Amino acid sequence: MSRLLLGVVLLAGVVMLGAPAAFLACGAGVAPAAAGPLDQPGYVKAMTCSACHGAAGNSRSDAVPILAGLSPVYFKKAIEDYATGKRVSAEMEPFAKQVKLLGVDEVAAYFAAQRRDVTPVKADRGAVERGRVASAQCAACHGAEGQGGQGDPSKLGPAIAGQPAAYIKNQLLLFKADKRSPGDEPLTKMKAILKAIPDETLGDVAAYYSSLR
Amino acid sequence: MTRMTRRQFLRASGSGVGALAVSGLAGCASTSGEIDPKSNRRVVVVGGGWGGATAAKYVRTTDPSIEVVLLEPNRKFVSCPFSNLVLSGVRGLGSLTFGYNGLREVGVKLRHEAATAIEPDAKRVRIGDGYLVYDRVIVAPGVDFLLDQVEGLAGAQDKVLHAWKAGPQTTELAKQLRAMPDGGVFVLTVPPVAYRCPPGPYERICQVAWYLKTNKPKAKLLVLDANQNIVSKAALFRAAWQAYPNIEYRASNKVVKVDAAAREVTTDFGDKVKYDVINLIPPQRAGAIAVQADLVAADKRWCEVDHVTYESLKHRSAHVIGDSTTGLPVPKSGTIANAMGKICATSVVHLLNGRPAPAIPPVNTCYSWVSDREAMAVINAYKIENGKVVQVEQKLTPGHSALYAQHAEGWAKSIWADVLGSGGAA
Repeated sequence: MSRLLLGVVLLAGVVMLGAPAAFLACGAGVAPAAAGPLDQPGYVKAMTCSACHGAAGNSRSDAVPILAGLSPVYFKKAIEDYATGKRVSAEMEPFAKQVKLLGVDEVAAYFAAQRRDVTPVKADRGAVERGRVASAQCAACHGAEGQGGQGDPSKLGPAIAGQPAAYIKNQLLLFKADKRSPGDEPLTKMKAILKAIPDETLGDVAAYYSSLR
Repeated sequence: MTRMTRRQFLRASGSGVGALAVSGLAGCASTSGEIDPKSNRRVVVVGGGWGGATAAKYVRTTDPSIEVVLLEPNRKFVSCPFSNLVLSGVRGLGSLTFGYNGLREVGVKLRHEAATAIEPDAKRVRIGDGYLVYDRVIVAPGVDFLLDQVEGLAGAQDKVLHAWKAGPQTTELAKQLRAMPDGGVFVLTVPPVAYRCPPGPYERICQVAWYLKTNKPKAKLLVLDANQNIVSKAALFRAAWQAYPNIEYRASNKVVKVDAAAREVTTDFGDKVKYDVINLIPPQRAGAIAVQADLVAADKRWCEVDHVTYESLKHRSAHVIGDSTTGLPVPKSGTIANAMGKICATSVVHLLNGRPAPAIPPVNTCYSWVSDREAMAVINAYKIENGKVVQVEQKLTPGHSALYAQHAEGWAKSIWADVLGSGGAA
């Protein structure tokens, strides 16, 4: 939040310095368009998402994922899968359709451009340690630090570091039961790995990735 | 080109200084004449609930060169969503009570005073003898109760509680419920549509029934619903009520009279029903100031607005958001008020900057708690077509579960921060 606040303060300073000349130039009392959020591509279309996903996509709650910093490829696949029901979510299915009507490219670009503030929800330390050990197989796709396969366009593995633990665990359980995106070829290996892992251990893995920075 | 007035000159030459100089004004009452002459473009927001607080915050964060004054008599924000959990004792009211510091942090000027009138033609808001001048006003007064539609209600407000605006009445009704004898009858009445929070009465029924089942197993909950059926999530609520045989639900039973001394209500059929504790949720309309300001439509109850800008169809310089609006296919919910606050703020900033307002549809999510640990939801997605909000889809959760309760907690935490900024939601 302090970074956001600083941004607002800096922005306020810029606008105020710029204002007098701008008003004089305008004469009739209509100021020129303010720089800032309005001119960020996608801001206006992504605005209503903050009710659940937080300011600039930085969710502060345990069950709702952070959207800030997600790769556009991943974001657009998620929206597509929610809209078609491949990813089952009563909440996201209607909103995914709404986002598609508004323009998914702009919304994806907006969230991709936001800096991720990792979850403030603290993970249990014991769980984090156990999860570190249990997560060795995940690094191939999600990166050694959970940073995802963003450099490699062939990899969809999203950046999961700093996502809230409850969200990660819920997704792992869905993958394990093949309820998330069934039939997706790139996910078969992951689902096979998860089948052998007890649910409690998945909670540990979630805590570990949530704790990464 | 145009004659420059003294105010325009001041605005042009000293906006930065002006904004600094007036930062310490909040809270001075009973001024006569113009209060705090504006030095820049100003938006006045009337009402600091879900819609108004959101709008005030988003005007500031979207264009910090615009001055925002928020008029809200209450010093604390108390969340109506989740307040049914106070009745069952699952939550305390303190966990739903937040300050307005998050709004102050982004430069919103809080005045804990009530607007006494809005004069759209003069573009000013009256506060007692004084007035504030505005460029745009955002009116978010929530609902008021039509007490005169229930005989005996106006004179019995200390005994016959609504608890439909979270606050002291919520705590008091919880106390009455706890003090009720086992074997007693709790009567809950549902008003005719439209009213704030369509699923709210039915969630409350679950919470009261859960409390009684857990603590007073011989007591009964009798529901008198003015509507022909459960207004929202009907099938889901009926399924949830399977767990509560202590509920007796009577549809099409509109309460027209209450006798607090005899502890008795009368329905429009003339049926008399005795109670030990009553929760009478009265019929509603837009907050009184919207009526005073001539913003309500022909029905004299709710305000019609432009679906893109939220400008009143009666006075274009006044925007109306939240529960007091009508004509959009949306429920009177916290999520909708929050969405309208953001969209309206964005429209106001565009309009004040000489830009056309973008057409952004709202979103809706309403979670309802059916017990101490399980919830369910209804979700509505929208689009804008030919300048009107149109529903794309409504979806219900397949049932109630602890997972949706977890989602509900996540929603609440996020949206409280979205409404109030980080200094509000702790």
